[in-house]
Amino acid sequence: MATNNNIQPLTPAVFHILLALSSGERHGYGIMKQVEEDSQGRVSMGPGTLYGSLKRMLDAGLVKESDRRVDPEMDDERRIYYQITGIGAETLASELERYKRIVTLAQERKLYPETFAYDL
Amino acid sequence: MIYDAGISQALYRNLLRFYPREFREQLAESMEQTFNDLCDEKRQAKKGYFSFVVWAFIETAIGIFREHLLLITKGDIMQTTLKTLGSSTLVSLLIISPLMIMEVINRRIFNEDFPFMLFFVLWLNLFAISLILLPIVRGRWTGIHNMANPVPTQGNTLLTNPKSAAMISVVLFLSPVILSWLDSLGWVPLQSLLNGPDPEQPYVPGQVISILLISIPIAAGIIAGGPIVNTLRAGGSLFAHPINLIIVVFILSTFAIGLGSLIIDQWPCFIGIPNCD
Repeated sequence: MATNNNIQPLTPAVFHILLALSSGERHGYGIMKQVEEDSQGRVSMGPGTLYGSLKRMLDAGLVKESDRRVDPEMDDERRIYYQITGIGAETLASELERYKRIVTLAQERKLYPETFAYDL
Repeated sequence: MIYDAGISQALYRNLLRFYPREFREQLAESMEQTFNDLCDEKRQAKKGYFSFVVWAFIETAIGIFREHLLLITKGDIMQTTLKTLGSSTLVSLLIISPLMIMEVINRRIFNEDFPFMLFFVLWLNLFAISLILLPIVRGRWTGIHNMANPVPTQGNTLLTNPKSAAMISVVLFLSPVILSWLDSLGWVPLQSLLNGPDPEQPYVPGQVISILLISIPIAAGIIAGGPIVNTLRAGGSLFAHPINLIIVVFILSTFAIGLGSLIIDQWPCFIGIPNCD
């Protein structure tokens, strides 16, 4: 099973899936919609990318299949819901911490457009 | 046709069959449901249905390719292949090195250019022989030394099934012959593809096609030998798949005859007879 250290930095797809699952269990379509919402429509995942990433995340123990069925409107007995695991939550927190450090560094070096230290 | 949701969903279901088995068993049903959900969403929106279906098919096809690639690169197959490629390169270089040394010494005496192409062809024949033979030798070795813990035979796929592997290798081995025949009939412009517009000038696409054509019989030998290797690794007999063995021996003999006749032809040059070309 993978640990936090050997799968970071996360790919954008894995990061967004973890982020989507951090607010609750979702099925594939639900994850896609949540990713679109979280990224304000900038990240649009196809089924190939979503399930390819989910496969690796399941193998790495970042997510697991849930027994619960939480969307009665769209529920189908065969529909599989996914939930974030403890390792997944730790990995996401660790990745967010990494982003935070990068943002802090960018602020220190005045790399934001409005605070550039030099003229472009 | 693709506007019909039922048809596009049925086509998508069939596309999912191309995923590796483990992936398919675990996730194909969910993928199909997600695709159906997305189809419903697009149909309700009443726009972009066709472009969505095309995009989903392409994106999933790329996903299928990626999963197969990952399966190959992460597994034993790629490691074994790389090991065999490395060993074959080394073994074939070692075998022709005495001839190369003899040639270098003689060419220096006669002040002639080194015949790179000749040695490339010699090396290629030896490389092909090693590439086909080494996995069989390794398989035999594993079978003998790991009798207490034999390697289980792999699942039944087109390349591990002895009959289909034999058929594929025969088709592959015959394809350059068929291409030459079609070329002689004027149906395939093989010569112009190989030589380019100016036969006097080096033509890179032609060289690439030549290497691909040479690779085909090598691939045929490896594929025919696959079931033999699996059986040997599992502690079985070399003669368990006689048809595959005959094909492997035939392909190996072809390369060996090519190699032998080239060495015999060039032997006067190797031993330093002047104007031997």
